[in-house]
Amino acid sequence: MVGGFRWAAMFPDEVWEHVFSFLPADADRNAAALVCRAWYRLERRSRWRVFVGNCYAVEPAAAVRRFPEVRAAAIKGKPHFADFNLVPSDWGGGAEAWVEAMAEGWPHLEELRLKRMVVSDDCLELIARCFKNFKVLSLVSCEGFSTAGLAAIAANCRYLRELDLHENEVEDNCLHWMSHFPESCTSLVTLNIACLEGEVNVSVLERLIGRCPNLKTLRLNHSVPLERLVGLLHRAPQLVDLGTGKYAAQHHPELFSRLESAIAGCKNLKGLSGFWEAGPTFLPAIYSVCEGLTSLNLSYATIQGPELIKLISRCKNLQRLWVMDLIEDEGLIAVAASCKLLQELRVFPSDPYGAAQPISLTEHGLVAISAGCPMLHSVLYFCRQMTNAALLTVAKNCPNFTCFRLCIMEPHTPDYITRQPLDAGFSAIVESCKHLRRLSLSGLLTDLVFKSIGASANRLEMLSVAFAGDGDAGLHYILSGCKNLRKLEIRDCPFGDKPLLDNAAKLETMRSLWMSSCSVTLGACRQLARKMPLLNVEVINERKRGLPLELQPDNCPVEKLYIYRTVAGPRSDTPSCVWILR
Amino acid sequence: MELELGLALPGGDLIAELGLASEKSTSMCRKRGFDDMFCRATSPPLFVQKDGDDDDGDDDDSRFNHLQELNLGSRVLVGWPPVRVSRRKSEEGGKRRVNCVKVNMEGVAIGRKVDLSLHDSYQALFLTLSQMFPKKQHDGEESDAAYYKVTYEDEDGDWMLVGDVPWEAFSQSVKRLKILN
Repeated sequence: MVGGFRWAAMFPDEVWEHVFSFLPADADRNAAALVCRAWYRLERRSRWRVFVGNCYAVEPAAAVRRFPEVRAAAIKGKPHFADFNLVPSDWGGGAEAWVEAMAEGWPHLEELRLKRMVVSDDCLELIARCFKNFKVLSLVSCEGFSTAGLAAIAANCRYLRELDLHENEVEDNCLHWMSHFPESCTSLVTLNIACLEGEVNVSVLERLIGRCPNLKTLRLNHSVPLERLVGLLHRAPQLVDLGTGKYAAQHHPELFSRLESAIAGCKNLKGLSGFWEAGPTFLPAIYSVCEGLTSLNLSYATIQGPELIKLISRCKNLQRLWVMDLIEDEGLIAVAASCKLLQELRVFPSDPYGAAQPISLTEHGLVAISAGCPMLHSVLYFCRQMTNAALLTVAKNCPNFTCFRLCIMEPHTPDYITRQPLDAGFSAIVESCKHLRRLSLSGLLTDLVFKSIGASANRLEMLSVAFAGDGDAGLHYILSGCKNLRKLEIRDCPFGDKPLLDNAAKLETMRSLWMSSCSVTLGACRQLARKMPLLNVEVINERKRGLPLELQPDNCPVEKLYIYRTVAGPRSDTPSCVWILR
Repeated sequence: MELELGLALPGGDLIAELGLASEKSTSMCRKRGFDDMFCRATSPPLFVQKDGDDDDGDDDDSRFNHLQELNLGSRVLVGWPPVRVSRRKSEEGGKRRVNCVKVNMEGVAIGRKVDLSLHDSYQALFLTLSQMFPKKQHDGEESDAAYYKVTYEDEDGDWMLVGDVPWEAFSQSVKRLKILN
């Protein structure tokens, strides 16, 4: 370094900090921090937002030490497949270590977002007590806490702006937790309690939202009856995002018209969700706001196709639609005709286990949407049949996909017309969609599809694979290609030791790899762990028969494997079914 | 005397009690019963039938656990299809849950079953009942409610007059119906 980086001293620190403040992405800040020691020091002192994609990738204390001025932190815990019960419930992801370290080192923390973590009431109480300026709590897919913990947050966080509880498992032991919001609490902007299963005191809620003039998002839970929704809306006509409670009641023309006018009174409404138990009776009450809607989540509403069509055809400005497969192909054709601004579509199965009468939701619906919605870039689609031809058409129609998740519900389902594997179809998707960041595969697939993915999916960051492939080559194609792969999750595929060991270095460039019900042996895992000290190789064996894992032979099959890069070494909170190999 | 025709295998409950049921739901053993014929039921189950309309409605936890797994031959697939646990739970709840209750009319030997989940009001229920049971010879007005004194047994075992409580509460607590002459 000729003459040192003297130019770094050309400007006072504040100027550089100001420059760094324009770097939005952590990756850019990380790069800046590597330039020279001065920049490293400046950058770390000026970073106030931190994202930890894997809570075990770094010691909490180390993160807190490096970035002392953090105001907003987001942390993720369990692997994605925990959503589907594949990860043992005691696997880990506890938030205490992080919350304790943050309480110690980030007393000015304002925002905390946790996903798939185990958050105890003690954690919530610690948050409530230690962060005097706390404003935003977002818990997504978490568990381990109760409404008593929420009471502590309500009571103590005087400047709370957002309480966003999304799809958590919350024990209901404090019925009146919402009464703990003091009269002085007037700062709420977001209140999302949709995942709470218990009763909510609607009168208390009415008073709360009545004194929060900045409330923009309100998502109720199932227990709030439709009759009370009217009163709530009268007190918050400025809402932008509404999640209804139960959307059914005894039919009453008076209730309908009161509801209709209350909803019409919310002139800024852009997003609607909730709709538990919605039926045809009260759905028309939202017609007046349909034109302005950009986001509509009907995925909990078991409404049939014709009603859905009537509703959605009015939503000309819809950008995001989540719906049940009860919409059927016909409904999707109507969506394609009406919702020209659609960007994201999710179609959920009304009956995942195939016991009810068949639904006419097929590849035709997907093709129709791809043809009719030029701005579509994100799809989640559950169906029972698919063809390569349909996927080719979709690929041609939508080269801008960033996220394509197709779930054909029966494993190993081929193209139902040609009986061929769906390799050609998915290959077309990855070859056409150059910006694809997330992909989920399904259906009958050979190693060929992985060859295409490895070669073409250059921007792919997350790949989910199930019941696919012929052998090791499949996994090898992925790990030796896919330059930007961060997360790979695999279940029930015949992938074995060789591709893992041959591509060990790749694993350090990724956040994590999950493999379950594949053909990996303990010996390969041991080798991998020895070779790669910066990886935690976690072997999960729930069956617990015979010898403990340390004494098992190398050829012992591994049920579940979770590998992730870390600078923190092996974690100390593993349950009995998890072994970290060294 | 109540007489009810059913096409179920005898002792279906006994099989469950003795723990002889396999991982699949015991209702797999049933042939389509009387109630399947006359309530608008789902098509014959090829896989696990989740809404086995047991009279006891035993929706205990163990059955729920089965529901999270798709039976594929002899293998049980955990976590497939990849639907979030919370979504599955609410699908169980929000989805139309078949709610068949027995109905008997005084003086009529053969009882029927009616699926309350297909009705959303007393009016709808009375209409169905009037189609199921012989009408009294009255002055021919169409007000079905006028024909019938319908009583029901609630979850506490008490017999009440139908129509006093909101429909929601009624449909959740009713165990069976009896039409009085």
